[in-house]
Amino acid sequence: MMDELELLKKDWQQREQELPRLSYDDIHRMIWKKSSSLVRWIFYISIIEFLVPHLLYLVPSFREGNGYSVAKDLGIHTELLVLTVIQYAVVLYFIIQFYRRYKEISVLDDANRLMKRIIRTRRTVKHYVIFCLSMILVIFGLFVVGIYFSDNLAEALQLGEAGAKQDPVELKWLMMGIMGVLGVVFTTLMGGIYFLLYGLLTRRLYTNYKELRRMDR
Amino acid sequence: MKKELEHQFVSLLEQNQNIVHKVCSLYTDNPEAHNDLFQEITIQLWKAYPKFRGDSKFSTWMYRVALNTAITLYRKAKKQPRTQAFDTVVYRIGAEPYDPTEEKQLKLMYSAIRELGDIDKALVFLYLEDKNYSEIADTLGISEVNARVKMSRIKTKLKTILNP
Repeated sequence: MMDELELLKKDWQQREQELPRLSYDDIHRMIWKKSSSLVRWIFYISIIEFLVPHLLYLVPSFREGNGYSVAKDLGIHTELLVLTVIQYAVVLYFIIQFYRRYKEISVLDDANRLMKRIIRTRRTVKHYVIFCLSMILVIFGLFVVGIYFSDNLAEALQLGEAGAKQDPVELKWLMMGIMGVLGVVFTTLMGGIYFLLYGLLTRRLYTNYKELRRMDR
Repeated sequence: MKKELEHQFVSLLEQNQNIVHKVCSLYTDNPEAHNDLFQEITIQLWKAYPKFRGDSKFSTWMYRVALNTAITLYRKAKKQPRTQAFDTVVYRIGAEPYDPTEEKQLKLMYSAIRELGDIDKALVFLYLEDKNYSEIADTLGISEVNARVKMSRIKTKLKTILNP
């Protein structure tokens, strides 16, 4: 019996004449196009993840004066300041880490190592996102605690007339509830969007990586 | 300087473009996706070109970049209805005497290869390109023994498809 694979090999090599052919100009035009590679997307997403929390400052109620004075009135502004300093230190660390990982990725590596490195980069980004999400939760938590210990809530939150009329105890629990729920909803939403996007993007890479690992056992 | 490099690269790729087309024909199943992947591989090759030192053949170097792009970097993997594009490419070669059984076997094998996973495809591709196992192992980053074992499994699988 003739080896079918030899037949296939022969056929495969003869097929060359039937392949499409691009001209010099076609190829020349291509080299300046934007890559749509996975790594580039991981890079874009991390930039977005980095920017989104900062975009919140564009929302009026989060803007410095207001948010800061609320924090001050609640007596948590020192804590908030410390938290912000820590946050920026960690963010800086992540930016450096991420840049190093990104640099490590080379299309000239063997497939196994290349995938390993992409997955490592992905993991760094994932840790960063988990950090951001926990920061959001901690900040909301801080406000909840601040509200709990606040003596004059209606004034601190600048609720005006309507707030002053409310029963202080009731108002306190109401605001704590709102803050708590808001914190959880916000964190879940951000996390959900992120992990969905990322999962979809790197699913195929993971499948291939696992396949190669299995092969090399 | 840059212009010269550009010209050098485009000429080399133009001469060796078949390699990229073959990878694209294995990993995509319609002309549009084929072109997209071709473009992405071209971009990756160009980005890596300054590191090409000429101690290996340009074509050898291309295999690695092209496969890496197809397996790990390529993003667009929209599920599209399969078209006949692949079958037409595989269509008969005029000079060969027409043999219906052979033709049928080839078709069966090509469609079986299409169903393989990305990594298996890469293995088969390198095999069909007449690469030896040490080169295959090197490109994929696995041991030579494992590359052999895996290839012989794929061969068996293809044979059972042909002779059920």
